[in-house]
Amino acid sequence: MTKETFLHDKHIGLGAKMVDFAGWHMPVQYTSIIEEHKTVREKVGLFDVSHMGEVFVSGKDSVEFLNKIVPQDISKLNYEKAVYCQLTNKKGGLIDDLIIYRLGILEYLVICNASRIDEDLNWMVRNSKEFDIKIDNQSHNYSLLAVQGPQADSLMRTLGLETNQESFTIKPSKIAGIKVLVSRTGYTGEDGYEILVENSHSEYLWDEILEKGKTFGIKPIGLGARDTLRLEAALHLYGNDLNEDTTPIEAGLTWSIPKDKTSDYNGKDVITEQLKNGGRKKLVGLKMLDKSIARHEYDVYYNNEKVGVITSGAPSPILGANIALAYVNNDNEICTGTTVQVMIREKLHDAIIVKRPFVEKRNKIKF
Amino acid sequence: MNIPENMLCSKSHEFIVNNGDNTYTVGLTDYAIEQLGDIVFLELPENDTEFKKGETFATIESVKAASEIYMPISGKIIAVNDSLVDTPETLNEDCYENGWLVKIEPTGDVETEEAELLEYEDYKEELE
Repeated sequence: MTKETFLHDKHIGLGAKMVDFAGWHMPVQYTSIIEEHKTVREKVGLFDVSHMGEVFVSGKDSVEFLNKIVPQDISKLNYEKAVYCQLTNKKGGLIDDLIIYRLGILEYLVICNASRIDEDLNWMVRNSKEFDIKIDNQSHNYSLLAVQGPQADSLMRTLGLETNQESFTIKPSKIAGIKVLVSRTGYTGEDGYEILVENSHSEYLWDEILEKGKTFGIKPIGLGARDTLRLEAALHLYGNDLNEDTTPIEAGLTWSIPKDKTSDYNGKDVITEQLKNGGRKKLVGLKMLDKSIARHEYDVYYNNEKVGVITSGAPSPILGANIALAYVNNDNEICTGTTVQVMIREKLHDAIIVKRPFVEKRNKIKF
Repeated sequence: MNIPENMLCSKSHEFIVNNGDNTYTVGLTDYAIEQLGDIVFLELPENDTEFKKGETFATIESVKAASEIYMPISGKIIAVNDSLVDTPETLNEDCYENGWLVKIEPTGDVETEEAELLEYEDYKEELE
């Protein structure tokens, strides 16, 4: 049975093309993926991402518990701050990637991928036995709206957001008169906000944002543009670029792993070893040198040998080139500037390894 | 957008139009284009290549995915709309007049093969 968000009727009313995604009936586009993509890079876009999971963790041992399930150091996460994390298995493989928010002294919010809520919850419960904590899956009670783009901040002010908010912070707030949790995070590489709202208010808030956003050129944005936006920003998509056989080191997420975390966590031995010696494979960014498009699961060649596989690929509307993420053998010869080949319909096409992100991120807001 | 007269459609969303001189124009229906969204890449065949009915003769890529295009009747390629390679977005604007893909000379039993195709109205009904 396909699930619907509380904004489903709004999407239908807006003429969205709907698709099944991770068990949800979601808008893939309203008008055009390219047009929607450019709206987010140039103005501001509104996304319904209510399919994502919200799990609240609270109780005396919250920090110790969270510290056991992610490589990041939750003991260092300050009140109202957020941190990008990975849920790792015993082998250091990725069960999911998450953002953990600190809401109170011993209260945390874990936002997880729609496709992984069940696996995440099972894993969290299995790991919780020795801890005095409460795991509360509230995914069914909350809607999540993302307001993303260079005009996002101005629009949020118009909607009543009062305080300045740094990137990767979360605060209780009032938007259009509705009590919400507002975080300055996103999945586009742009500045923007994500708004957690109780389901009963989500339709009103959606309409208000679109109405007040008119002067900023707002458009509703579907999952199609969400995917091309995150790819330009080289942000991973679980199931494509991340899975249980891939470690954070291999996924190019070394920057997110603290080297000085003292407490033990699932997969620490593997991750510590890979921090020293590197992983079995490594994530690279590719830019196609012709008009062909590398897609998920196409093979990557170097010197006529298969050295890797594409995990995500699409046209970049901003670069006017076709880009991709791929895992290749952890070989020093295969690095930024190296030309490799992608097998597309039985023909090899040249691609050059480029630095990630493909398009510069503009989401680091500090005060 | 003008729907060509005498157009026949396949269930896999290709169309043919009989040009009346033993040649046919082949393309993708507006429904297919609408479903695919922004078209960003096309791989078209070479002139003089022959394809049987149902064989893949081209590939079309939208932002999201690549899709194969199948020959609606057996034929030999006699013209290719190469301009689409540089401006694939033409297909989003008009898939019938400027957005045709190839022209072919039939090489099979046209009558039998055509009989398996649908008139546009029936094709659209089939989609509902």
